[in-house]
Amino acid sequence: MVPTPLALAGCEERLSAVHPAGPAADLIATLWWTMLAGAAAIFLLVVVLLVLAFRRGEGPSDAGADRQREMVWVKGFGLGFTMTVLAALTAWGLWIGERLLPRPGPDVVAVEAEGRQWSWRFSYPDAPGRTTENTLHIPAQRPIDVRITSTDVIHSFWVPRLAGKLDAIPGHVNVLRVEAWEPGEYAGVSGEFSGTGYRTHGFTVIAHDAAGWDAFLTGEMP
Amino acid sequence: MTEKRRMTALRLHKALYSIWRNDPGWKGVFTTVNNNTIGNMFILGATGMFLAGGILAMLIRAQLASPQSAFMGPEIYNQVFTMHGTIMMFLFAIPFFEALTIFLLPGMLGTRDLAFPRLSAYGFWCYMIGSTIMIIALVAGVAPDGGWFMYPPLSSSAFSPGINADIWLLGISFIEISAISAAVEVVVTVLRYRAVGMSLDKLPIFAWYMLVVAVMILTAFPPMILGSLILELERAFDMPFFQAENGGDSLLWQHLFWLFGHPEVYIIFLPAAGVVSTVLPVMARTTLLGYGWVVAAAISLAVLSFGLWVHHMFATGIPHMGLAFFSAVSTLVAVPTGVQIFIWIGTLWKGRPELHLPMLWILGFFVTFVMGGLTGVMVAMVPFDWQAHDSYFIVAHLHYVLIGGYVFPMIAGIYYWLPVLTGRKRFFRMGETAFWLVMVGFHGTFLLLHWVGLLGMRRRIDTFEAGSGWELINLLASISGFVLAIGFGLVILDIAVNAFVAVRGRRNPWNAGTLEWGTPIPGPAYNFASIPVVNSRYPLHDHPDLPVQIARGEGFLGEPVRNRRETLAVSVSRGEPEFIAVFPQNSIVPFVMAVVTSIMFMAPTFKWWWLSGISAVGVTALALVWAWSGGSREDEGLLDAGRGVSLPTHNEIPHPPGWWGSLFLLLADSVLFGSLLFGYAFLWTVAPNWPPPRILEPGVLGPVLAVGGAGLASGGIRLADRAIRSDGSAWAGVLVSLAGLVTLMAAAATVFRGTTHNAHAYDATLWVIAGYIIFHATLAGIMTLFLLFRIRAGYLSSRRFGDARVVRLWIDYAVLVAALGLGAAWLPGILAEVPR
Amino acid sequence: MMDILRISVPITVWIAAFSAVYGLEGIVCSDLWTAAGLSLGQGRAALIASWAAAISLQVAMLVILRLPRCGSPLPWVQRLATILGFAALVATVWSLMPVATTSLCL
Repeated sequence: MVPTPLALAGCEERLSAVHPAGPAADLIATLWWTMLAGAAAIFLLVVVLLVLAFRRGEGPSDAGADRQREMVWVKGFGLGFTMTVLAALTAWGLWIGERLLPRPGPDVVAVEAEGRQWSWRFSYPDAPGRTTENTLHIPAQRPIDVRITSTDVIHSFWVPRLAGKLDAIPGHVNVLRVEAWEPGEYAGVSGEFSGTGYRTHGFTVIAHDAAGWDAFLTGEMP
Repeated sequence: MTEKRRMTALRLHKALYSIWRNDPGWKGVFTTVNNNTIGNMFILGATGMFLAGGILAMLIRAQLASPQSAFMGPEIYNQVFTMHGTIMMFLFAIPFFEALTIFLLPGMLGTRDLAFPRLSAYGFWCYMIGSTIMIIALVAGVAPDGGWFMYPPLSSSAFSPGINADIWLLGISFIEISAISAAVEVVVTVLRYRAVGMSLDKLPIFAWYMLVVAVMILTAFPPMILGSLILELERAFDMPFFQAENGGDSLLWQHLFWLFGHPEVYIIFLPAAGVVSTVLPVMARTTLLGYGWVVAAAISLAVLSFGLWVHHMFATGIPHMGLAFFSAVSTLVAVPTGVQIFIWIGTLWKGRPELHLPMLWILGFFVTFVMGGLTGVMVAMVPFDWQAHDSYFIVAHLHYVLIGGYVFPMIAGIYYWLPVLTGRKRFFRMGETAFWLVMVGFHGTFLLLHWVGLLGMRRRIDTFEAGSGWELINLLASISGFVLAIGFGLVILDIAVNAFVAVRGRRNPWNAGTLEWGTPIPGPAYNFASIPVVNSRYPLHDHPDLPVQIARGEGFLGEPVRNRRETLAVSVSRGEPEFIAVFPQNSIVPFVMAVVTSIMFMAPTFKWWWLSGISAVGVTALALVWAWSGGSREDEGLLDAGRGVSLPTHNEIPHPPGWWGSLFLLLADSVLFGSLLFGYAFLWTVAPNWPPPRILEPGVLGPVLAVGGAGLASGGIRLADRAIRSDGSAWAGVLVSLAGLVTLMAAAATVFRGTTHNAHAYDATLWVIAGYIIFHATLAGIMTLFLLFRIRAGYLSSRRFGDARVVRLWIDYAVLVAALGLGAAWLPGILAEVPR
Repeated sequence: MMDILRISVPITVWIAAFSAVYGLEGIVCSDLWTAAGLSLGQGRAALIASWAAAISLQVAMLVILRLPRCGSPLPWVQRLATILGFAALVATVWSLMPVATTSLCL
């Protein structure tokens, strides 16, 4: 495994999606905590309804009573309740998804990531010819477009504290937007099973402050 | 029951038993075509696979109990988790509900057996042989190791050079024969073989669910079978379907696999939902609330499930709008699921629920499945899935859905139907203890694994570092995992003990209303002494006397005067009697054919093409023997079906059961062909390195042959059909048709001349399209020859022309796919010639 | 068999339309679209038009099902087919909504 002395998180949170260190991971973590609260509430509702079913006596069984029940259980709970919740959630999820897309901007920095069994090679259009193995350098507080591909099997570029994962697929280039709030080191791993070396297929992202990034680009820093 | 009534019933039982019984002794195991026997063996086989998959799960949890585990290296561990997934999905989950369905369906529908008894046997043996091969591969250490969804290029020959991947691709395809054959059976049985008066609105709810599931199997499995076929072609002959440098695309596999893989999840869930919809109302002493809504929910759930396959591919770089479609459907599919959940709760409110053991398991299902459903909605959110994908969050989610949503209801079902299965009454009460062990063990194992996934633990890693923060949760999961295993072990032990040593029970102990409780327990080989007449969804509630009437032969076909296996087929919508189906005798052919089929499928593992070829000839010969044994050489006219109704046999109607079976088999076949055309279009639009360097030029010869062949083939069989119906000579028509089919093959063969199979994914795809056409033309040709011999032997007449209709269907299909396939193959060449 | 079709056709048309629009989105975002001299704006228009067409088709099927000549003689089947027709309509509106609300080819 790549040695990772981490500045901002304890060792235990270095791959945690719920300890965000950038805007994308932060939006997703907010989505998660909200969904968890909502899911817990819905789960409790179902449990309460189940318990009540055992607590109350048998109801009337004529056709009119059944029509009444269909109104409540099918149209009320089954269609009305679920569709309202799900429509709201879907819209919110898509809105977040839109905000995470790699839209062009003046401040965007592009880097390239190439996965293979079992290492990562990174290159930098801003510093032609410059490549690094298993360590990706980025500037902090700037949007980064990671252009991801693979030379052999499918891998996935995943830095959980910064953003979600995106696959490295032979013949394709996928673009992932990441950003780090603060300079520091962030652990990354491949998120797609790739054979016997999969477990150790990791890398480190080093986010520099502005001066550090300039130094990296000009080659003053390894 | 008076003495006289009992005598009638006993005499009838003896007469029917001698007609329907299995061969005695061990021979009977291999020659049986009876749904009860096959269902029982199938249930035992699938339970064995559950144990095998469970042992692998224990190995996984032993490995992950502590960090830096040295128990297994990645080479072994990768085989273990791949086989755990493969066994549980393909060798346990699907076969187990198929087994239960084969066992229960005739009883529920009020008929004597499934529509194609020999097909049940064939499917079962394919499953048993295929499963055995997979287990042998596992023990021999050559099991697949690329994960149960086998993504290329990892599974391509460059990165998986051994036979491991071939065993998966060929073995699973072979085993899927059992899924497809069971599905054809179930569709035709539910549509045509029912009690009289059982119109669509009176079907037992489980039958509705299984009808839906069977159609789903027919439409979901073909994409994966195609995927396996072309991946194997790539591995064996270097046809570059998935190699980017030659115009292939590994994403094509993912599309084909998940086109199967997501409906598959609902294929597994819906039978369980069918069990809940059946068992829960009985446990609540009431009837199912909103029957029509449940049917609507099941159907819409089934179709919606075909529109969310890409949610397994959210992280593959597909544009956000594309993902958004599938995210929207992924949440929408929760609506019919929610409708069912709330209907079940409403049913409990309506009735007076009692906490018998099946109900306990259903409550376990509610708690677990609802949690799994909620996490499912979470991962339907594209951004969240980008984090959760391929982490232990997904592992936890899928186990909540599959164990909570499938295994728990199935156990409820087994306990509920135990009297029907074994004829015994549960007395040995280990079940309650086992239930609580499973509940505690399950949630102890999987609940916190969600969290460890969010902390960054990826699925499929063989071990993890100390200090990762995952140690405690994994240790707890492993300990709970063993509790869970002990719980499941006790469930199986409890059921086994009750099945073998418990006392005989009385009929219908739950006071259920459906027909499977209307036969003696366990059900005799013929299931029903006479085909009952029903006029509600719960016939046993309306007429508590019905079982006695059935046993006395007061339904249809109550007198076995013709001394052969007969049952009644009804009209699709209204359930009115339509014809008498004559069922085959016990036969060794299905078993032998399954053995030969297994050789045909597995020989390519070792590149023994010659053996595979010989076996293909053997399978064809056996299929012809199989088909020849049906039919009749003389017109029987209308026969007495009982209750004053006279009906023809299946030989003397225009669309015999074989035609219906062919129709639904061709549905599956057409989905496979559609997937092939989809793959072609997909590669053309999405794959790198397109367009291909060289495009096939259609020329003149190919199109002329195609048009001529199509006309001759479909025209000839129509001439023959007309001649047979007017008792004329059909030879000319049949021969014209045969000539047409050969011409079609020649047309398809022109594709080979203009392309090189391994040059580019384009060439490879055209080869598969042309091969598909030639295969179907050959198949139709063999059937046409078969028809010729049948005509000569006197099996066809103006009343008996069903055989010709079956052959016509297959010829028309061959013509259709030739037109579409060759059109698609030639289209780019034609467009290139059009002046810009 | 007609009853089976009444029950199954609208929702099957939904999956066909859904797949077709997804395919169209794939073509719009592929090189073929720009090679044919078409713009992304035209692509968006084509997608929205096909969404509208799919919705119209579902509405038309519901109307046809309600015609006395085309409905099922069995009231239960007629009700089931109507529920599923509405389900297919809702599915069409819901699942293809992204053609108008999300960014294209990003």
